[in-house]
Amino acid sequence: MNHFFNNLFFTYLPHIAMTLFWFGVITRIVKTRRSIQAESSQFLKKGGQRVGGNLFHYGIILVFIGHFTGLFTPPDLYHIVMSTGTKKVLAVAMGSVFGTAALTGIIILLYRRISFTRLRKNSTPQDLLLLLLLLVEMGLGMISIFTTAGASVENYAALGEWAQKIVTFQPNAGDVIAGHSLTYKLHIIIGLFIFMIFPYTKLMHMWVAPLAYFVRSSRQLIRRGFRSV
Amino acid sequence: MKIQAQIGMVLNLDKCIGCHTCSVTCKNVWTTRKGVEYVWFNNVETKPGSGYPSHWEDQDKYKGGWQLDASRLKLRMGTKAGIMKNIFSNPYLPIIDDYYEPFTFNYSVLHSSARFATPPSARPHSMITGEPMEKIVKGPNWEDDLGGSFSERSKEKNFDNMEKEIYGKFENAFMVYLPRLCEHCLNASCVASCPSGAIYKREDDGIVLIDQTRCRGWRQCISACPYKKIYFNWKTKRSEKCTFCYPKVENGEPTICSETCVGRIRYIGVLLYDADKIAAHASVEAPEDLYKSHLDLFLDPNDPEIIEQARIQGIADNFIKAAQNSPIYKMAVEWKVAFPLHPEYRTLPMVWYIPPLSPIQEQAQSGKLGMNGMIPDVDDMRIPLKYLANMFTAGEVKPVRDALERMLAMRAYMRDKTIDNKINTQVLAGTGLTPEITEEMYRYMAIADYEDRYVIPVSHREYAFDAFGDKSNCGFTDGEGCGSMEVRLKELFGGM
Repeated sequence: MNHFFNNLFFTYLPHIAMTLFWFGVITRIVKTRRSIQAESSQFLKKGGQRVGGNLFHYGIILVFIGHFTGLFTPPDLYHIVMSTGTKKVLAVAMGSVFGTAALTGIIILLYRRISFTRLRKNSTPQDLLLLLLLLVEMGLGMISIFTTAGASVENYAALGEWAQKIVTFQPNAGDVIAGHSLTYKLHIIIGLFIFMIFPYTKLMHMWVAPLAYFVRSSRQLIRRGFRSV
Repeated sequence: MKIQAQIGMVLNLDKCIGCHTCSVTCKNVWTTRKGVEYVWFNNVETKPGSGYPSHWEDQDKYKGGWQLDASRLKLRMGTKAGIMKNIFSNPYLPIIDDYYEPFTFNYSVLHSSARFATPPSARPHSMITGEPMEKIVKGPNWEDDLGGSFSERSKEKNFDNMEKEIYGKFENAFMVYLPRLCEHCLNASCVASCPSGAIYKREDDGIVLIDQTRCRGWRQCISACPYKKIYFNWKTKRSEKCTFCYPKVENGEPTICSETCVGRIRYIGVLLYDADKIAAHASVEAPEDLYKSHLDLFLDPNDPEIIEQARIQGIADNFIKAAQNSPIYKMAVEWKVAFPLHPEYRTLPMVWYIPPLSPIQEQAQSGKLGMNGMIPDVDDMRIPLKYLANMFTAGEVKPVRDALERMLAMRAYMRDKTIDNKINTQVLAGTGLTPEITEEMYRYMAIADYEDRYVIPVSHREYAFDAFGDKSNCGFTDGEGCGSMEVRLKELFGGM
């Protein structure tokens, strides 16, 4: 990939994507937060939703945690407990397990959405687009596990270095992974694209994940004047 | 003591003719939109029958209501962690096929197509997919008037602990119409199950509502409600439920189902209860004691001490007055002829039922079986007492038998009075009724004047909040309101 495009995709695009992501998330919450919700199709058809939904969600949550900690923990910090080599093995192992779970889940979810008439007729283009995007993104992620496993430790460490250079606004961030496999690069570009469209899709439901349930009283009594303004 | 007012309803099943006027008017008012075609906030089902949705009373299947776990109340669905664990897929969720696939007919084909060689027919079309349906296999009242086979119908839970086989015989068949709506429970399990905190019980009148702007579609309430009276709108993907027609009730008018009931079977009134005792009274050990402990929650609205306390705690005078004239209080507490539906779910439901009388079986009339003095023995009625008890008192037969005896005594007394012109107090013996109470019961239950059936206080919105600050405050906001940033952020993560 020539230098210009490498710079565009891996130095500038991450910033553009994050800006659009946070701008979108904030405006969506402030201006149209009441349309943020889970959009479950379980009610129309159970078939596969239980297995698929659980595999996908639990898988992707753990994969996300893995990416976040893996990419953004500075080497000085994780070297306290493990070497980069150990971290690579850990990443490959965990990524395989949870990645497979999430990928299996999304295949089941995509299959049920397409094969059952009720769901197909009541699916929006967005439902299908997201499923396909996530399928491709996760497929690339799974392939990149093999790339990582077969490549050097330095090659793996560079990914974290790149991510950390992005969030610390280093102008040469893209150069770090310029020589990396195309699998990683496509994975990153599609990932950033998902971040960019995130605020305008049903993916926003994670912002209303009901964590407050654990701390709330189970009896909600509300005076007549209650208005959730 | 925390005194609260609750608007409740009593349905006199003795007079229900199963005409479905309540269901139809309710549907026309509330659920004619896309996504809720299959929804009947009020439905009338024929018992015995699997009901709507099928086998809604089977809590092993749907896990509705509460159960005791080491004498502590716990949602049958599980702990909060248990519910959250299942948030990506609720294993107990009834799906559309458990209700029925809503359908319509392509009538237009009847006048738009060429001449048919055979008599024309309009085919059913699914309102979910728009595709033609081969066969309609279910409807909102599929087992109307004992439709379907006995083997299917008799799978229902109210036959528990009964020798049900004999009721499959034609000469022993019996049925009851059961109109059902949201119970507006005192200890609502839907409220406790909502991860987003969108379901709430109004303090002034106890009506349970879903805040549509806070529902995020996690769909736990649908299985948590043991009566299956929360429905999933598959279009908006949020839950909806009976509102007890709160805009009408706030104005002192009865709900649409009550207003239009041609049999005059519905009563609406206020009850005062002690909210501090809810947990204790819902967690008595034996299910058979729940009816009694539910009754004990209600406070006597004529007790000067209670009135005084209620005033101090901010209950409006017209609510106290309504409680004193409440037909619900009379039927449930004073005369004990009305019962909660399935108290064993421990939700303390507030829509109560007067059990139906039924013809005495043939043997009794031919003199082979006992006439209990001047009144036929209620144990010989066509509808088995145990069946009614399984429905209304968690299997405890005595309260139901007493209620039916009181109703029979009332009939006998009034028959003697109006036909033979004589006061026969003998028929009241053993029922605890006096001629005065009997005549009042007759007035309420048989005559059932509009003013006696509906004693609904007008709400006091002016006490709820100072509206002056809201004047000219909020412009056009696309339905998003105009709260402060703090309020907006509070809606994240289920409302921290």
